[in-house]
Amino acid sequence: MNDRVNKTEGRGLETRGLTIGYDSDIITDISLRVVPGKIVTLIGPNGSGKSTLLKTVTGQLKSRGGVILIDGRNRSSMSTKEIATKLSIVMTASVKPELMTCRQVVESGRYPYTGMFGKLSEKDHEKVDEAIEATQTEDIADRLFTNISDGQRQRVWLARALAQEPDVLVLDEPTSYLDIRYKTDILTKIRDLTRSRNIAVLMSIHEPETAMKLSDTVIAVSEGRVQRIGTPYEVFEEGFIRKLYLLGDMDTELIGSIPWYTREGIGAAGEYKPCGTKGVIMIQGTMSNVGKSMIAAGLCRIFLQDGYRVAPFKSQNMANNSYVTKDGLEMGRAQVMQAECCRVSPDVSMNPILLKPTDDTGSQVIVSGKPVGNMRAAEYFEYKKQLVPIIKDAFDRLKNDHDIVVIEGAGSSAEINLKDHDIVNMGLAGMVDSPVLLVGDIDRGGVFAQLLGTLDLLTDDERNRVCGLIVNKFRGDPKLLESGLNMLSERSGCPVTGVVPYMDIHLDDEDSLSRRFLSKTAKEFDIAVIKLPHIANFTDFDVFDQADDISVRYTDIPADIGDADIVVIPGTKNTTGDMKWLRDSGMAQAIRELAANDTVIIGICGGYQMLGERIDDPEGSEGGGSMEGLSLLPVKTIIENTKTRKLFEGICEEPTGILSELKGSPVRGYEIHMGKTECTKEAAPFTSDGTGYCIGNVYGTYVHGLFDTKEMAAGVVKAVAAGHKKSVRVSDITDQTDYKEKQYDALADVLRNSLDMPAIYKAMGF
Amino acid sequence: MNKRCYAAFGIMTMLLIAAVYLNLISGSVSIAPDKVFAALFGKGADAMQSNVVTAIRLPRIAAAFILGGALALAGYMLQTFFDNPIVGPFVLGISSGAKLTVALSLIFFMARGNKPGSLFLVGSAFIGAIAAMALVLLLSIRVRSMGILVVCGIMIGYICSAITDLVVTFADDANIVNLHNWSMGSLSGMNMTDVGIMTVIIGICLMASVFLIKPIGAYRLGEAYAGSGGANIILLRIMLILISSLLAATVTAFAGPISFVGIAVPHLLRGMTKTSEPGVMIPGCFMLGALVTLVCDNLARTVFAPTEVSISSVTAVLLVPVVIAVMIKRRSRS
Repeated sequence: MNDRVNKTEGRGLETRGLTIGYDSDIITDISLRVVPGKIVTLIGPNGSGKSTLLKTVTGQLKSRGGVILIDGRNRSSMSTKEIATKLSIVMTASVKPELMTCRQVVESGRYPYTGMFGKLSEKDHEKVDEAIEATQTEDIADRLFTNISDGQRQRVWLARALAQEPDVLVLDEPTSYLDIRYKTDILTKIRDLTRSRNIAVLMSIHEPETAMKLSDTVIAVSEGRVQRIGTPYEVFEEGFIRKLYLLGDMDTELIGSIPWYTREGIGAAGEYKPCGTKGVIMIQGTMSNVGKSMIAAGLCRIFLQDGYRVAPFKSQNMANNSYVTKDGLEMGRAQVMQAECCRVSPDVSMNPILLKPTDDTGSQVIVSGKPVGNMRAAEYFEYKKQLVPIIKDAFDRLKNDHDIVVIEGAGSSAEINLKDHDIVNMGLAGMVDSPVLLVGDIDRGGVFAQLLGTLDLLTDDERNRVCGLIVNKFRGDPKLLESGLNMLSERSGCPVTGVVPYMDIHLDDEDSLSRRFLSKTAKEFDIAVIKLPHIANFTDFDVFDQADDISVRYTDIPADIGDADIVVIPGTKNTTGDMKWLRDSGMAQAIRELAANDTVIIGICGGYQMLGERIDDPEGSEGGGSMEGLSLLPVKTIIENTKTRKLFEGICEEPTGILSELKGSPVRGYEIHMGKTECTKEAAPFTSDGTGYCIGNVYGTYVHGLFDTKEMAAGVVKAVAAGHKKSVRVSDITDQTDYKEKQYDALADVLRNSLDMPAIYKAMGF
Repeated sequence: MNKRCYAAFGIMTMLLIAAVYLNLISGSVSIAPDKVFAALFGKGADAMQSNVVTAIRLPRIAAAFILGGALALAGYMLQTFFDNPIVGPFVLGISSGAKLTVALSLIFFMARGNKPGSLFLVGSAFIGAIAAMALVLLLSIRVRSMGILVVCGIMIGYICSAITDLVVTFADDANIVNLHNWSMGSLSGMNMTDVGIMTVIIGICLMASVFLIKPIGAYRLGEAYAGSGGANIILLRIMLILISSLLAATVTAFAGPISFVGIAVPHLLRGMTKTSEPGVMIPGCFMLGALVTLVCDNLARTVFAPTEVSISSVTAVLLVPVVIAVMIKRRSRS
């Protein structure tokens, strides 16, 4: 049993761009995924192609385009026998084979496992008995199949399907013509067996109200296309169902239970609805920067420590600070950090949508790691409806491969103006059926009002998802909070899961609003980072947080640079725009003067481009135009529309000036930029493979993470400090990875001590 | 296999022995049983009697056995293929198609004064059988109703028979009587060479059908379930058509059309064994078909002896009630 459960990766049924039909197309472009242990139902009016789809998936009908994957393999490349060991079917009651006992019908399920003449082995008999037992058909097993009732027959067909030991079970309206008792019986069995045997189930269902109750995912088809895929809650919306079944404004009272959810308040107020897909928890906040990322990260690490396979998830990130995966895809850094907490490699499934603000009203939209274009806010609001299946798919992939998925919300959960088509907070929680922990920030004040106010703005069913409240960033004695917390849980009807102390833990930051920019005073060794208006990917300097003697200051005022030992021009989302800013703000002049004084200047990515002589943007990829650079390095940049995204592994090739002793040090990082930079004159290669050049104490490179290796980080500081006759302890500096691991464990320890972990596990269904 | 199956096979074996015995000792020339056995083992005193036993009766019994079995097996396979209980090679016009091509080639060769060999006849019968089968298949794609399919098959049979009659009428040949006898269906005039050839062909078909036991078993649940279980439906269907056509063609080439054995025997067997397992049905149909044909041939020879009636008359009288009973039972159940 165990190996069955563990080998869930890629298991199940999937279609990609499938087109079905007999002589002409009935439904086009069907992309669906059925994962083990889940029931996916097909609904739609008569003649919409539900059965045709099932027939195509099971191979009774040829597809007219697209692919069908069974356990990750293309159906057309598999033999009928192979398919039979993975996929079995149950159809509407109709076939009545003559003179066969029920047992013989079940035995026919062993077909793919028996030899030339179909003789059943000991094991086959065992499997048959097991299937009969599982469907409770022992009493009718030896009766003739024609002499039992329709309902009993469906049970036998189900037993036959189980005897086939399928990973995927396809059922075509298995309860048609059955009375209410057998209908209940069959549906209960299907549901239980799906879970207990970890089978991926795809079934068509006639009655929408049944699909509403039974399904994990519902696929609604009509008029030749898939109209909607989602959780029952998303699909069974009155307007949509009326349209799907062409109900118009018909009164549906006669059919009994209404086949849709009324959006306002499911069930009576206060009624507790246990919610949650097992192994999913979502962290939402009362506002931005309450520490959602950090709490999610800490929980990830706790679950990992407790022996679970964990993955982080956030449907949509808004940040300039992106990361490139090993497949060359872009995702938000917060999920990369959380993935590190989970000790899994970052995957774009963990953050399917990334918005990188380009200016005040627009963003570059990155879906599944690839940019799809720049959009204004209103445009994106319209576009994001299309992203629901992508989000769902990404989440399902993660859930499929992990025991626990920790989801992070975005901003505040009570943005009531943005509630329609929400895909980041409660909308997402509903989509994936997740319980929610709501986090408030006491450091910024008004934490009780934050939490209560947020709960108050939620609908009843949203409120029911909230399984606990967390007060974050508390300084002082928790006892002082107690009376407030009691009142809080009393007023809200929601337990307080914990009070988390203010932590001084260094983690990768989520967005440009971070505390990092709060000015700090210069320490013994000072690094000044120019705070460009469109600064991006600024985690390059996190490594220096490890050393007590080193300060990293972000500054946008020339005078603030002061006596910095190193001046860094970081990456930017808008090179030409920020270059203009450099010039207008007088920063350009200041940098040139510093360079003339032999101060170490390091340009990374966009900063490197700015150090050059010219930046041309003929295609307008980053604002257009052509611009003079700082002319500190003899390089020229042409910004192009294609984006370079790759991991870098090389060395510090021939550093000049004060860093010359670093020659040969390993450099590991990543490149992410638009444009090519070429050396126009003689210059020494800084980082290898033409990724950067240097002259004197001016160094430029495209490599982000330049300082992530111990050799580079400590080496640069040591060399510069020696040159400036300072003594700085660099022994604290370790590889960023080791350092981070320690930080993550520390974070987990703090959270474990302050949160009610048993309650969280319980909310997740453990 | 249930107990009934063992019992059925036991009874069939005993009855087969009895039938073979009866067929050996009965005939227009009366020969005492002991003489028959003496002749059989080459110790017959009377050359004429020995000749009757070894050159006439024995080949005829062997042919009845083999061809009867073949017919029943063909019927079983066609019923499986069409998922229709009232089809058989005769009803679907397959036998008649074979009959037509055999008659045509006989007349063609006889007009040139030589008799075509048995293999050649089997070949031409196979062409006719396949042609008729193709026609029925075309129809079966268009009409899904069992009843209409059978009516169409009978129509095809009639057309083929009509053409055959026409050809026979205008053949004007000395051998016409011979041809007439054959076209009515008869097991007379067999020799051991014929028996050898039919044994080889039908033996191959029987062996091939053994390999279909597994897929046919699954096919009982219908195409969708069988296919989802991993059975190669297309291959199975092609094999069923080829084997049943070859069986029916062989029977027709040697004995002319023999009606109702193919359609009735599978039902009789299911009635006896109360199972539809192909592992039982395939050998069972062959045995029971052989038995029924032996009995019918015996009656054809003896009832109006010395005049011999066509075997189809006997099979019709005996087996049509079975077919009707099946149809009534079906009707009342659904």
